[in-house]
Amino acid sequence: MSDAVARATWRRRLGRNRNVVTGALIVTLVVLAALFAGAISTHNPRRLDPPNRLKPPSAQNYLGTDEFGRDVWSLVVHGSQVSLLVGATTMVLTSLGGIVVGLVAGYYRRLDIALMRVMDGLMAFPAILLAIALMAARGSGVGNVIFALSVVYTPRTAMLIRSTVLSIRELDYVLAARALGRRDLAIAFRHILPNCIGPLLVQGSFIFAYAILAEAILGFLGVGVPPYVPSWGNVIASGKNVIREAFWVSLFPGVALTLSGLGLNLLGDGLRDTLDPRLRVP
Amino acid sequence: MTAYLIRRILALVPVLAVVVSVAFLLIHLIPGDPVSVMLGPDATPAQIQAARQALGLDRPLPEQLLKFYARVLRGDLGRSYFLDRPVTQALLERAEPTLVLTLSALLVAIVIGVPSGIVAAAQPGSLWDRTLMLAALLGVCVPGFWLSLNFIYLFAVRLGWLPAAGYASIFVDPVAALRYMVLPAVSLGFSQSALIARISRSCMLEALQQDYIRTARAKGLSHATVTWVHAFRNALVPVVTVIGITMAILIGGAVVTEIVFNIPGLGRLIISAVLRRDYPVVQGVILVTATAYVLINLVVDLLYVFIDPRIRYE
Amino acid sequence: MAPGSFRRGFVALVAMLLSASSVAAAETPKRGGVLRVGNLGEPPALDAHWTTASITETLTNHVYEGLYSLDASNRPTPMLAESHTVSKDGLTYTFKLRQGVKFHSGKEMTSDDVVPSLARWGKQSIYGKALFAQVADWRALDKYTVEMKLKEKSAIVLISLAVPNNFGAIYPKEIAEKFPPEVKATEWVGTGPFKLAEWKPDQYIRMVRFDAYRSRNEQPNGYGGGKTAWLDEIRWISVPEVATRVAQVETGELEFADDLNLDAYERIRKNPNVKAIVSKPYYWLVAVLNKKEGLMTNAKLRQAWQAAIDIEPIMKNVAGGHADFYRMDSSLAPVEIAAWHTKLAGLPWNEHNPEKARRLLKEAGYKSEPIRFMATQEYKWMYDFALLTKQQLEDVGFNIDLQVVDWATLVKRRNNPKEYDAFTTGIGAFYDPTHPVFLTASWPGWTTDDDILKLQAELARETDPKKRMALWEMQTRQFYEKVPVIRYGDLFGLRAMRTSMKGFNEKTERIRFYNVWLDK
Repeated sequence: MSDAVARATWRRRLGRNRNVVTGALIVTLVVLAALFAGAISTHNPRRLDPPNRLKPPSAQNYLGTDEFGRDVWSLVVHGSQVSLLVGATTMVLTSLGGIVVGLVAGYYRRLDIALMRVMDGLMAFPAILLAIALMAARGSGVGNVIFALSVVYTPRTAMLIRSTVLSIRELDYVLAARALGRRDLAIAFRHILPNCIGPLLVQGSFIFAYAILAEAILGFLGVGVPPYVPSWGNVIASGKNVIREAFWVSLFPGVALTLSGLGLNLLGDGLRDTLDPRLRVP
Repeated sequence: MTAYLIRRILALVPVLAVVVSVAFLLIHLIPGDPVSVMLGPDATPAQIQAARQALGLDRPLPEQLLKFYARVLRGDLGRSYFLDRPVTQALLERAEPTLVLTLSALLVAIVIGVPSGIVAAAQPGSLWDRTLMLAALLGVCVPGFWLSLNFIYLFAVRLGWLPAAGYASIFVDPVAALRYMVLPAVSLGFSQSALIARISRSCMLEALQQDYIRTARAKGLSHATVTWVHAFRNALVPVVTVIGITMAILIGGAVVTEIVFNIPGLGRLIISAVLRRDYPVVQGVILVTATAYVLINLVVDLLYVFIDPRIRYE
Repeated sequence: MAPGSFRRGFVALVAMLLSASSVAAAETPKRGGVLRVGNLGEPPALDAHWTTASITETLTNHVYEGLYSLDASNRPTPMLAESHTVSKDGLTYTFKLRQGVKFHSGKEMTSDDVVPSLARWGKQSIYGKALFAQVADWRALDKYTVEMKLKEKSAIVLISLAVPNNFGAIYPKEIAEKFPPEVKATEWVGTGPFKLAEWKPDQYIRMVRFDAYRSRNEQPNGYGGGKTAWLDEIRWISVPEVATRVAQVETGELEFADDLNLDAYERIRKNPNVKAIVSKPYYWLVAVLNKKEGLMTNAKLRQAWQAAIDIEPIMKNVAGGHADFYRMDSSLAPVEIAAWHTKLAGLPWNEHNPEKARRLLKEAGYKSEPIRFMATQEYKWMYDFALLTKQQLEDVGFNIDLQVVDWATLVKRRNNPKEYDAFTTGIGAFYDPTHPVFLTASWPGWTTDDDILKLQAELARETDPKKRMALWEMQTRQFYEKVPVIRYGDLFGLRAMRTSMKGFNEKTERIRFYNVWLDK
């Protein structure tokens, strides 16, 4: 099978996989909500409206209002921005970091052992605790979440890349390329990385999902973005004291969190099913 | 086998060294002087100097690192400024609730997850299978802390079946301990149970395809025996893997569970230590939890060998 | 007597006795039991001299006692003192101490303990420092007599010794001398009806009955009078999450919880086993301004803030929408402190005048520089009013940088003039016009205005109550002109108490559990 045909088959398989389609749909919706937050919200999510506090869902406020009269629909819609920012940045950083470390470890056997021990060590830290600990040093904020998650999850990506490197570098055509004098970096880019994209995407989806959850947990604990910035964790936290009088405040951001997680997990599952390594073309 | 064991344990050393080094670095990420932040603006210069010496912050960095290693090996994790006692003591006092919580959550996860996965795999594609797997998918995505809030509202406040928060030690009052642990353990373990269910199912499916199962069937063993005895054992291997990862997630999730349910464990300790800038305690908690994770993974690896004698590492 | 009527009579007699005894049973305190109280957080110290924190005040008043205490009319009443005399010139106070009062360690309290204790208090406590600034000499005359010589006539001797916050607790001599005033005492021995049994930080503080406690003979009166420890133990359990505190009182895991969020009021009221207590006074909300360094040294800017805010909607929101949980009042002393409550008209309080605010901003030369406003979520009402303020001020042209930190950080940072421009807190009741901390130069915010400080000094000296009130009214007018801090409205607190808890005095500002018993 030629390259082009293989890739076309790939795409068709992706398109036919229900998980991928559903997952991609949900994720797209969330991304659109984040990008067009201003357009689809009905109110300014930061605008306090005290006389309107704790109102149940209605025509004016689709998802009700919180204890300051802020519109929950607008809060949830804008909250997606923080979640996506954290998720995407973490995913990108872990991928990039993992690629660099994985390539180096795969190619340079002498560094490999040392690097793998370091990776094992880094993976041992519970990400949430690390983010909280960083708060002690640097104050609260989204940077801590991204940094802590990247530190803990880069090793997993690195190992993925490394094993790909190891399995491919001994193949004939790669040896041939080296004999011909092609530089390692070029080989990496032409032959190794394309094969990593699939697994990277799969892992990336799960890392994205976990990053969103982690951000919400830290926001809930009060060590994420400042409490008046719309974020799903913050809104759930503000709703927990009035969960009996106004259950909608904590309910809807929780639903949003669950949905985003669902979309990303479906996407990850589907990608993993379709991009089975055995079907990859070298 | 023993050789493998020894090699495995030796491999821990560099990993733990990395863990200790990262924990050490945490204090040094602080902009400005960590000591005056810890002691506050009312501290006299004499007190600050004494504290710096006690923490060894007046020596060059590599020397500090070595000294830190030495102290850790001796079991000396420093002294908590706020709690006015050695960090090790503070950690020991708070370890029990966290251990009980994480283990209970793990138990919940396994007890709900494994049977669900096996039942689903036994009749793939059935309504049972599809329902369970849908529930599992949702379970993975539902945030644990949100679940906690809803559980408290439903079971404690509205129905009054269980206490809203708090902790009792098993050694002091087992019945109360159980009542207090139900909601926290279930809300923490639920999402992991979903993960375990999905993985058990796929492992069972794979195991059921194996040759030896077909042979067993051909030999005429009953369907039930085949399913449960032979495949189960093999399905355990990946489940045991997942336990390692599960523990990492549980340790992190335990923090927020402890806050919501007011459980006096390491999670609440680290939050209050962070808020009070009690850096030695923060360091201690991070160190201990990371080390625990490494050791758990060691145990998990060793369990592999026992569960499946076919697996041997050179 | 005929048998039938005898039997009827007997039954009636028995019925009467039974009902009488059940009435008596409802009123007779029972000894024993553990009272579980939900606490907002950890006290920064259990050293009464060391801090003004409310949590410390509540806890230490169960373990220690001072020479005086406050009665139900907020007037000084003797506690460890037996009596006092004042010399004709008003410069010498002689206190006679009660005899046979024991410390928890077993030794008797004498002047040997009183002198170093109050000397230490006089160096560290806000109220102690204010009093001892006027003291020329302080010493023991004999085992049960102490003498205070003043530099000038003072109006504040007894009231300073009686104030429950940051109070003149009597420690044993060994402890008072062992710990210098700036260092937190870490040994806790007092004369109070309860003694400290165990302190597990972040978990609980246990106090147990002190069997050898010598109570005064009078009836309980405010914070003073007789105190009986019916309970075996008070367990102060740390429950920082307010939602959890409320839930635990509802389910019966706690008998009492304070500092609850006002949204829970309806829910608590409906619960047949719980009583909702509205505590007045609680705090008045205040934004303290940094007058030492930074943007808020500019008086016009401070006046602009005062002119801009519309206080009622803020108070209503903070009070969970309930009108009975807040009160609009400009007096610096709350209504409940009748002696110092003022009813002045024409004060620039709650003007909510955006044009005036904008004009003042322009006159101040304000160029939209960010104003660092520190708040915390640990006292929910602080965060609430800060957020609402931010919006109101930004609507007239301010640029507010709201920094939400934890309370411990806020309390640390507020001592450093470089770190902030304003911070949130609440002012509780004070019992003498010389006590308000926001009118002193040493409390964060640093009120150093000459006119204000001069009037405060005069108030310390003047002993005629009518003249004092006139001075106080003058000071109040000055307060609104100079704007050292921004006064909002009065907030009331919400407490929840299980119905099994009896004998609790709902009228005192802060909670006390002596004279309380459990009916289970």
